[in-house]
Amino acid sequence: MNLDDELRAAMRREDPPLGFTQRVVARAQTKPVKKPAMFRMIWAAGLAAMLVIGFTAVSEYRQVKAERAASQAVVALRITAAKLNMTRDKVLKLEN
Amino acid sequence: MQKLLVTVLIGVWTAAQLPAQSLQLRITGLDGLASKAKATVDITLDSSMLQAAGGFLGGNGKDQDAAKLKELLAGLKAITVRSYEFKEDGQYRREDLDPIRAQLRAPGWSKIVSVSEEKELTEIYMRTDQGKAAGFAIIAAEPKELTVVAIEGTINLNDLSKLGGLGIPSIPIPNQDKGNDKDRNKKGKQE
Repeated sequence: MNLDDELRAAMRREDPPLGFTQRVVARAQTKPVKKPAMFRMIWAAGLAAMLVIGFTAVSEYRQVKAERAASQAVVALRITAAKLNMTRDKVLKLEN
Repeated sequence: MQKLLVTVLIGVWTAAQLPAQSLQLRITGLDGLASKAKATVDITLDSSMLQAAGGFLGGNGKDQDAAKLKELLAGLKAITVRSYEFKEDGQYRREDLDPIRAQLRAPGWSKIVSVSEEKELTEIYMRTDQGKAAGFAIIAAEPKELTVVAIEGTINLNDLSKLGGLGIPSIPIPNQDKGNDKDRNKKGKQE
């Protein structure tokens, strides 16, 4: 058998099996299967949990950043005050 | 046409930013000192961080010192502190301060206090903008310690002196109500 004959045999027209059309029509008329309510609830709960975790993390990060900034501001002002004080002492010493 | 408009707007915005940037003190030339120092303080707080700090400090409204500190911080736009403490003398040179002092010679800045001793130099500069105090800088060079402070914004030194509860030493300012700051300038030995 040459290639042409093989192709012809493979591509030959065949009738569908008995009852094929009815089965296709019956399948098309059935309603789509709904996802169970539990699945949707889990999905919503997961989303809510992610949002809560996200907001908490952002809030925590801001709090830590603010705390660190406050601590640094206090140190900066303490150093500034100490140096101003030192300068004042030197000026007073020169005056006397 | 639209591109031209955007370009012009960007140009105008950039030009508007330039005066503020050029007057803001940049503490440069001291980076190499950190490796020689036994203790280093490197603090840079911009306006958003100062705002966050103020929010944190004045959160409950019960602590009076914290509330005063919050008030102080509210007037500030930026704080930069570089402080190096060394084990031995001679770990830095006066020339290391030249890039900073060069900036402080720019218009807008004026030296209000300068005390120069054999091994020590203390200078306080004030920046004015349209006749109002807009910031100040401190250079304190001691044999084993070098500190540079740059503060942008307005700060009441008297209020600062009252913040004893946070470990900030009290600073009584003599003759505070008499004359302006320049009248009180005292200068030690000239360099």
